[in-house]
Amino acid sequence: MIALRGLCVRTGTGHLAVRDVDLTIQAGQRLGVVGESGSGKTMLALSMMGMVPDGLQVEGQVLVDGHSIAAEDERAWRSHRARSVAMIFQEPMAALNPLVRVGDTIAEPLRRHLGLSRRDARARALNLLEETGIPQARRRLDQYPHELSGGQRQRVLIALALACDPQLLIADEPTTALDAQVALRITDLLVRLSQERRMGLLFISHDLAAVSRTTSDIMVMYGGDVVERGRTASVLSAPEHPYTRGLLAARPSLMTRSRRLPTIPGTVPQLNALAAGCRFAGRCARELPICASRRPPLSPTETGQAACHLLGAQA
Amino acid sequence: MTARLPANILIGAVLVALVAGAAVLSAVWTPYPYAAIDVANKFAAPSATHWLGTDQLGRDLVSQLMAAAGNSMTVAVVAVGIGCSVGTVLGLLAAARGGWVEEIIMRLSDLGFAFPALLFAIMLAAAFGPSLSMVVIAIAFINIPTFARVSRAAANQIWRREYVFAARAAGMSSFAISRDHVLPNIAAPVIVQATIEFAVAILVEAALSYLGLGAQPPAPSWGRMLAEAQTLMYLAPQLAIWPGMCIVTAVLGFGLLGDGLRDISDPRLARQRSA
Repeated sequence: MIALRGLCVRTGTGHLAVRDVDLTIQAGQRLGVVGESGSGKTMLALSMMGMVPDGLQVEGQVLVDGHSIAAEDERAWRSHRARSVAMIFQEPMAALNPLVRVGDTIAEPLRRHLGLSRRDARARALNLLEETGIPQARRRLDQYPHELSGGQRQRVLIALALACDPQLLIADEPTTALDAQVALRITDLLVRLSQERRMGLLFISHDLAAVSRTTSDIMVMYGGDVVERGRTASVLSAPEHPYTRGLLAARPSLMTRSRRLPTIPGTVPQLNALAAGCRFAGRCARELPICASRRPPLSPTETGQAACHLLGAQA
Repeated sequence: MTARLPANILIGAVLVALVAGAAVLSAVWTPYPYAAIDVANKFAAPSATHWLGTDQLGRDLVSQLMAAAGNSMTVAVVAVGIGCSVGTVLGLLAAARGGWVEEIIMRLSDLGFAFPALLFAIMLAAAFGPSLSMVVIAIAFINIPTFARVSRAAANQIWRREYVFAARAAGMSSFAISRDHVLPNIAAPVIVQATIEFAVAILVEAALSYLGLGAQPPAPSWGRMLAEAQTLMYLAPQLAIWPGMCIVTAVLGFGLLGDGLRDISDPRLARQRSA
């Protein structure tokens, strides 16, 4: 079980890239994290791996199996990576060393963490590749990354991530670099693996369709804050926060034909220009005078929780 | 696609093969023992028995040149080998650790660069007496900072790659990442540098032996042959010309080969040159 308690990620200039996130991921739970670029989703994920880049400071607690692990404790983190938390990446080509056969890439953590012999690690790597449904898995072991397609590479990375039976798999935009058909198969694979292995899944994406297909719970982030969370289906069908509504409204639809897609006005502000209160203040269509100065707490809604002053105003 | 090898690689490889071939062959066979003196036959002209003639003591010139090639190459291989492995390990360490470890290694390298190879070798010879092993130590020592710098720069780039990040995420230690992911990916620039340093090592060995600080008689060395031939320039210029040619061949060969390999490993440079 992985949990975050009051997690903040502070930049070198003292601004918060992630603000006060509480989060628990149970075995087998599939949580989607959505938000625009710069909303802090990747930082959140990296803090759960103890891999926040140098120069950024992690505050609050990261709990692995109930034990708090300091962000600087590289030795402790190294033993948890792959075993407790594993990660797959956006660009499957970039995440594979072009000079290493994929079988050896998968065997590495098996030999290091589980102490398997070369032969056993290879056999295990083959099993893992087969589990990810890659065609002709035995032949793939001895191939180099450039000999595989994008989807196959992502399956190799998934096999690598599964090598040490992690409790939580973080997938950071795993389908962004893949075409739509392949992306569907990869998300279905992630769901299947999470169910079969009772493994938590943290699925980061800005593709709402992929998130609704993959996850049971959802967390919407904006400017480092969690603005809304709840069951995926209910949040996406009845969003409470103006930002979530804006995101949903900005999706193209086959049903209605509009000339232009609605957009959320403005862009995600730089961290140093973010409001002290609600970080969506300034772009919000329904802003109240209080929004810029007071930060709304996460309060219960019909579908989960949302952080918005409107909720109190309506009640 | 059948890409033709660039001319500099081709010529360089042929010259290197010539020198290396002579060096290897000299280990098992030379026309005469290189140190065999035959005073009756001194200053012999090239003939069927002595292809390039003999020197002031009647020693066969071809045999001496071949044995000297062997010496030269041994010095270069051992010295560059030591410098390359120690330097690359330091460079990898600097890149993997960063922070004060990197700072110390790189500042020490800067210090190493401040020593000219020849002066350093002269210092060693003065302290421990001239010998070929002092030459090897001097050249190896001078090479360490070069390789540390080249490998650190290349390794730092590799450390920023996403597959290194992925390897860390898979729980690999920085030692394992350096060995399995970084080292194979920096091999190209290190090999290029090694080829170029080979040329430098041969030149330095020749220079030191010329100065009497390297190979001691009767160990053959192109540099020492040059020095001995110096006083006989008017009498027998070929005694100086042939070892000189050998030095040029070896240095030019490794230089061209290294340049060519660098062009291949860094296509941006090649394009500039052909444009």
